[in-house]
Amino acid sequence: MTTLTESPTTTTADPVLSVHDVRIRSQVDDREIVKGVSFELTPGKVVGIVGESGSGKTLTCRAVLGILPPHFEVSAGAIHVAGEDITALTPARLTAMRGSTISAVFQDPASYLNPSIQVGAQIAEVIRVKKGLKRRAARQRAIELLTAVHLRDPELVYGQYTYELSGGMLQRVLIAAAIAADPQVLIADEATTALDVTVQAEILDLLADLRDNAGLALVVVSHDLAVVAQLCDEVLVMREGEVVEQGPTDRVLYQPEHEYTRLLISEHEQYGLEKFLSREGR
Amino acid sequence: MAARPVLVTRARRGLGRVLVTLARSVGIFIPVFFVATFVTFALRAMSGLSPARLQLGEDATPEAIHNIESQWGLDRPFLVQYWHWFTDVLHGQFGVSWVNGADISTLIGLGLGVSLSVAVIALVLGAVLGLGLGTVAALRRGTWVDRAITGFATVISVMPPFVVGIVLVEVFAVGLDLLPSGGYIPPENGIGPWLAHVILPALALSFDVVADVARQLRTGLVSAYRENYVLGALVRGLSPRRIFFRHVLRNGMGPALATIGIKFPSLVGASVVTEWIFGLQGFGRFANDSAQAGDVPAVQGVLVVSVVMVVTFNLLINIVLGRVTPASQRGV
Amino acid sequence: MPRRVLSLVSGRISVAILLAIALLAVFGPLLAPQDPLATSPDTLAGPSGGHWLGTDYLGRDVFSRLLDGSRISVVGSLEVALMALVVGAIPGILSVYLGRAFEWFTLRLADTLVALPFLLFAVAVTALLGNGITQAMFVTGALVSPLFYRVARSATLAVARSQYVEAALISGASLGWVVRRHVWVKVLPPIAVALAQTIGVGFVIVSSLTFLGIGVQPPAPTWGGLLASDLGYLSYQPWAPFAPALLIMATVWACNLLADAIRDVSGEAGRALANTRRAAANQKANQTAAGGRA
Repeated sequence: MTTLTESPTTTTADPVLSVHDVRIRSQVDDREIVKGVSFELTPGKVVGIVGESGSGKTLTCRAVLGILPPHFEVSAGAIHVAGEDITALTPARLTAMRGSTISAVFQDPASYLNPSIQVGAQIAEVIRVKKGLKRRAARQRAIELLTAVHLRDPELVYGQYTYELSGGMLQRVLIAAAIAADPQVLIADEATTALDVTVQAEILDLLADLRDNAGLALVVVSHDLAVVAQLCDEVLVMREGEVVEQGPTDRVLYQPEHEYTRLLISEHEQYGLEKFLSREGR
Repeated sequence: MAARPVLVTRARRGLGRVLVTLARSVGIFIPVFFVATFVTFALRAMSGLSPARLQLGEDATPEAIHNIESQWGLDRPFLVQYWHWFTDVLHGQFGVSWVNGADISTLIGLGLGVSLSVAVIALVLGAVLGLGLGTVAALRRGTWVDRAITGFATVISVMPPFVVGIVLVEVFAVGLDLLPSGGYIPPENGIGPWLAHVILPALALSFDVVADVARQLRTGLVSAYRENYVLGALVRGLSPRRIFFRHVLRNGMGPALATIGIKFPSLVGASVVTEWIFGLQGFGRFANDSAQAGDVPAVQGVLVVSVVMVVTFNLLINIVLGRVTPASQRGV
Repeated sequence: MPRRVLSLVSGRISVAILLAIALLAVFGPLLAPQDPLATSPDTLAGPSGGHWLGTDYLGRDVFSRLLDGSRISVVGSLEVALMALVVGAIPGILSVYLGRAFEWFTLRLADTLVALPFLLFAVAVTALLGNGITQAMFVTGALVSPLFYRVARSATLAVARSQYVEAALISGASLGWVVRRHVWVKVLPPIAVALAQTIGVGFVIVSSLTFLGIGVQPPAPTWGGLLASDLGYLSYQPWAPFAPALLIMATVWACNLLADAIRDVSGEAGRALANTRRAAANQKANQTAAGGRA
């Protein structure tokens, strides 16, 4: 495994995702929910967003994907994915871009897969639509992907339904579906929340693998600092829609400037984070 | 190398799922069938009717009544009678009419063709129109199209079959003179004439189904659109059209399909009214006439046949549901 | 809750129609200008000053028959609904408390009643049991009762298993207070919805039965019976079914509307409605403020 202490290489590559001072407004009560988020992401890099629920992390992700819920809108700022301003794209161009340039996985993977269709067929569907493969070839590729996300017995899993699989398996399937059309950016929104600790570690390893081997750029969103610490090059700490602290992971973890970040870290002292810190220290 | 065993396992799993659905449905319907036949049989005891009254009139001597009742086996214990009747029913025997001694199975068989023709056409009309309207309403939700369809569904849902029947006779038979106002021609004598005679009663029955299926499908589709898997499919870059046809329709259709199953009994039941309006000699008419004449075994026969039809149809619907939305069949 | 129902346009419309129908049922027979049973040689006459809706095939005044028949039609459907409420709700509540055997049996019975071809059974059983209005109401009420059985059962289950009721009792609230504060608000809306629906359904069934001449003795007028007698004379009086059909449809529609209105103002759906309205209002306000910014 590559070491995480490696100093960030100077970014010569163009950012695949750039978010500039994005503000999101709710039309229901005319309130600004996200108050200016900015970050850039180059291939093979990982940005983490931490914060409690309701801090605006998920809305930011959904804005990036162009799927804000009803009555929400991006009121200011710009989002560029692979150089294109997504707020200016037609719905058809957005559809073309999703899956093949940018994709996402979420918490509660079972609900993000269709309960009435075999999970493998849902991966094959993405391959057929986005890559134009024929039915048989798509099936073959889908099974390869299921193997690539370390599922045992991929042939069997292919023909199963969501209710026949465990949470960890479903998250692997969801990741396989998300990367089926070879996107450059993958957003993992609380992707390991509500999973067992061991399964959580496995999924994080899988994401790290994908970053290293496929050069995927990741946006990892979590309320759990340990998750972010394990993967990310840069961290944004959000609270009530504002970015209270932003910087390289090491800096934010070792010299937190904001009170809220300190609070988050102290809460984690007993749990996963301390393990990470001790490994870092060695 | 592993292809063949995998195919075999998949086929076996698929078959297994169908069998599980079937077993579960049968598990629900066997008690239904038992209770329904028991209630049906108890009708005679509850009504206090007897073949003796029909044959001998009001002023028969007690001995004569007793004689006839023992001929019909009505003096045996209730449960014994039920058991005899029930085993006969399982063999398709409903006994003979109290009124004219004719074999009831034969009499019902004569009317069944008419009633089934009407019911099936009504079902097809209801499903096709209802699914079409519901889909359009859901896709155009919030627009005037949606409001127009919802309004139309509301209007036709409050029109009882006998009102629709009268309106249809009035418009198509009396007013425009396009279709016959009544009577029946079996399909062997030509599909055209057959359809001309059953289309109006079928339409009259279908309105209720159209309205309910359309509304259920609209609700089902709208709520399916709120599900996370739609978001998932969107994020994977699938087009709105594909998301609708492959993902939303499939899941949103469940309630509408179930509605067709739920509506079928009322469709069979309403045949009593439509057959009366359109002068069809179906089993609904037969049930009405027999009931008014006090011919208990004939009524029991029709009721049992109608229950069998309903149960069979619902079994089919459950199997289809099991194929379309496998997850929803768990724990039913 | 009644005030919230009335705050909806649909609620006001349905209540207005149902009030009008209720007045018709109470005062209709008294208002009938002529004897609804009196025949005359003036058969199948068109509408005129003397006969507002014309006369039927026996020369009877249709308007008077319509007014006179409203009571049986309306009272019949109310009886069906109340019968269904009693026959359905009581076993529904008891099914939670009286043990598994009773629960299993009543559940199967409800399944069966739902699966029966409704009208066929109503017609056959009513006719066999003596063809009176009482038999008709009893049979129909029993056939519709599974709706109340389910509603009452699920409401009772929700309350019986809910921790907040237990918590309230433990913290010293009186049983009466808990029932008023927690149980009632949970149980009442679904029961009200079911009742409104059932009155509509009962109305259709009563009309269908009277249309077939079941449940009432022939000369007595009913809305369904009026339609039946019109059927034979459509070529002479094509407009005749209009009035009774319209009354039947309006009543059923009002019942459904009321059921929907009650459902809309109670629970989750009510909140979503309010949100959408507020968002639309805000949107409009912002647009005017920003001078139509895209």
